[in-house]
Amino acid sequence: MFLASRNFCCHGIRTCQLGTDLLSRSIKHSASATMPFRHKNTRRIEGLDSNVWVEFTKVAADPSIVNLGQGLPDISPPSYVKEELAKVAAVDRLNQYTRGFGHPSLVKALSQVYEQVCGRKIDPLTDILVTVGAYGSLFSTIQALIEEGDEVIIVEPFYDCYEPMVKMAGAKPVFIPLRCKSDGNSASSADWVLDPAELANKFNSKTKAIILNTPHNPIGKVFTREELQVIADLCIKHDTLCISDEVYEWLVYKGNKHIKIATLPGMWERTVTIGSAGKTYSVTGWKLGWSIGPEYLIKHLQVVHQNTLYTCPTPLQEALAQAFWIDYKRMDDPDCYFYSLSRELESKRDRMAQLLKEAGLKPVIPDGGYFMIVDVSTLNVDLSDVDEKQPYDYKFVKWMIASKKLSAIPLSAFCGPETKKQFEKYIRFCFIKKDSTLDAAEEILKNWNKQKS
Amino acid sequence: VKASNSLSFSLQAKMSRPVQARRLEGIDKNIWVEFVKLAATYSKVNLGQGFPDFPAPDFLTEAFTRALGRGNHMLHQYTRAFGHPPLVKVLAQFFEKLLGRDLDPMTNVMVTVGAYQALFCCFQALVDEGDEVIIIEPFFDCYEPMVKMAGGTPVFVPLRPNPPKDGKLMSSADWQLDPAELASKFSERTKAIVLNSPNNPLGKVFSCGELGLIAELCVKHDVLCISDEVYEWLVYDGKQHIRIASLQGMWDRTVIIGSAGKTFSATGWKVGWVVGPDRLLQHLRTVHQNSVYHCATIAQEAVAQGFQRELMLYGKPESYFVQLPKELQQKRDWLVQSLDGVGMKPIVPEGTYFLVADISQFKSDVPDVPNSDEPYDYRFAKWMVKNKGLAAIPLSAFYSETHKNNYTNFIRFCFAKEEATLKAANDILQKWKREKSSS
Repeated sequence: MFLASRNFCCHGIRTCQLGTDLLSRSIKHSASATMPFRHKNTRRIEGLDSNVWVEFTKVAADPSIVNLGQGLPDISPPSYVKEELAKVAAVDRLNQYTRGFGHPSLVKALSQVYEQVCGRKIDPLTDILVTVGAYGSLFSTIQALIEEGDEVIIVEPFYDCYEPMVKMAGAKPVFIPLRCKSDGNSASSADWVLDPAELANKFNSKTKAIILNTPHNPIGKVFTREELQVIADLCIKHDTLCISDEVYEWLVYKGNKHIKIATLPGMWERTVTIGSAGKTYSVTGWKLGWSIGPEYLIKHLQVVHQNTLYTCPTPLQEALAQAFWIDYKRMDDPDCYFYSLSRELESKRDRMAQLLKEAGLKPVIPDGGYFMIVDVSTLNVDLSDVDEKQPYDYKFVKWMIASKKLSAIPLSAFCGPETKKQFEKYIRFCFIKKDSTLDAAEEILKNWNKQKS
Repeated sequence: VKASNSLSFSLQAKMSRPVQARRLEGIDKNIWVEFVKLAATYSKVNLGQGFPDFPAPDFLTEAFTRALGRGNHMLHQYTRAFGHPPLVKVLAQFFEKLLGRDLDPMTNVMVTVGAYQALFCCFQALVDEGDEVIIIEPFFDCYEPMVKMAGGTPVFVPLRPNPPKDGKLMSSADWQLDPAELASKFSERTKAIVLNSPNNPLGKVFSCGELGLIAELCVKHDVLCISDEVYEWLVYDGKQHIRIASLQGMWDRTVIIGSAGKTFSATGWKVGWVVGPDRLLQHLRTVHQNSVYHCATIAQEAVAQGFQRELMLYGKPESYFVQLPKELQQKRDWLVQSLDGVGMKPIVPEGTYFLVADISQFKSDVPDVPNSDEPYDYRFAKWMVKNKGLAAIPLSAFYSETHKNNYTNFIRFCFAKEEATLKAANDILQKWKREKSSS
């Protein structure tokens, strides 16, 4: 394929290496040549190296495994979205840098869509920051506004990155669990609620922010107006920020409405709302997200952004802007993708729930999002002989992958240290999957019961 | 300061306590925000911000289109967080040959959102509060705020100009480190040195001897080297880019940073990478997985294709890595002639697509303002874009706060531009010179 590797190395390098005899001798005599390597990780990332995804995406990468674990669609994005991206490849200037805080046509489109949703003026240049996925928005928000000495309230179970990001900012996460109000017999995500008195107790003078995720990953809860009002009242009373992760904002099922906490009185000025192209358009691999809020908060996120990656990719932002214009024009039309996707997912949700019930499992039916949690303790799978210090659900999922060729994600990955025991009987399935994937899952779940008897 | 107890009073109030984190202190200003806006508003010819105005190569954009056309819609979904497998594999293959050592694509390579995010990961992973980081001036402006954001202390050491005695044009090679001065900057608190070769803005390509000196000090003081090599392919006049990681004792303590944007003239794709030993990259991976986690899939797929092509054509005349520097060298020479012709004195760059010129002979147009809060070259560059429509960047943008007034007669031009753009720049300069002569 190419000439011997020696020819690849520039002549200059070999000359240079021959010429550094002095260097070589000096190194042999240098203390550091024999000293133990002192360059370990910085304090800010101490203990943050492990990650449930790194562990489980590797295990589930085997194509023979039906993967309902990681939240990634295997359905196709809408064709017009793919077409817009194909179009931009031909435009030269779209292959070069764009505006750092967000490509002009994209922030314009976002401001129009969200003005419609929020019922208030949103300045595309000062009230919006485009980031590398909602993940990047979470990071920018936390780095901009949270620091050592701060406490940040996190609702459990939580999307796993909140805890390490808060720690990396030097702050202390304060956890509060969603509790099942119907005494363990949960049929719906609506059964999982915060105890208002317990929540109020978590707020103190050090509380800088609360992270809200609605619709909620992993349970699928869609916080009601009343529930949001409780949170809002506390934020206002304690002068606290709200970081509102609303990536699943369009994925709400019949009978439910997504409400933006930023639209409640007194909340716009203290809320950063985060959204995601990946979840909105089923293009997780585009890694584009955004933060929307008042200028005096967003400007600090912009400072973080200009000191971390500066600008997001241009072609993807342009294609996304075009897709948004298409759907913005039909926001009053049921065919708008924002609504048609949730209808498509609702039937997948119902199918998934049915399959799990037939296998003798008790799924918690989500009101929103594309995840479903299931109590697997009823299956009584004995894993006490598995010689690992991991929680039950980690062991269960690994066992399920190996013996049933079906993957999911253990729920204790989404819990703080105190609550892991509470949630270790649950696992999370992702149902934004094409029919053939769900068919394959059905086969496994049907046979599961048969094998048992 | 708590909000008032009265709910109605605080309903529309902002947060009443300081809202931003202290890590943002002193890093909010950014030259590009201002100068990009100025160029967008006033410039007829933009030689300011560093990006090509000629298209990315066909083979790259075709790879992008092909990937989309294949109908594999999973290219629109997450790929491997630390780098799309085809890309890390081909990067490992490529750099194995360049460095003369075996590389594991999974542990010795990581993909980032541009070289910018690679730099961020390096500082966050390796620089703690109280650590010193040596930065060679002039420097790509983000190094300083990134070190500060990581709680580190930047320690500056300048390249000093030694003008050639025979009246020839100055070269970037004439700007050199003083070895004793460099050595004096290393202390027990020194964690790392940032090396940028080829250097932005001067275009200096560090020589074997210069790299050897830096390497010796790194080894002696057990210091890391963050080696920003984004312009690695843009070297002229038959010079060689030497990778400091290939020098003795350096692989284990160096993180090499590269950029698809600069390599393939597609700055807007924001695909970069780091190459280095696992025991350093593992910490960069931790930062990456807790900040952006994944990089966009499709651009990585296309860049992988680009590298596959270059791997096949390495060293051959059709290789983009041979053609691009050839074309840019011509453009460099063109701009050098242009500037020299009107009395702006260019420093001929050995590499990169930037060129710094001394504008002393044009100072009469922009009178000095004593006690101005802006260095002279900032004012000159702003005046020039507003009045002549020609955008460039003041050199003091690439200096630390304390040294901003050391070199105030220089501006930086980007020559990665179409012939028509460089011609138009020449027309502006010629007209300007004529106006000066006649006034």
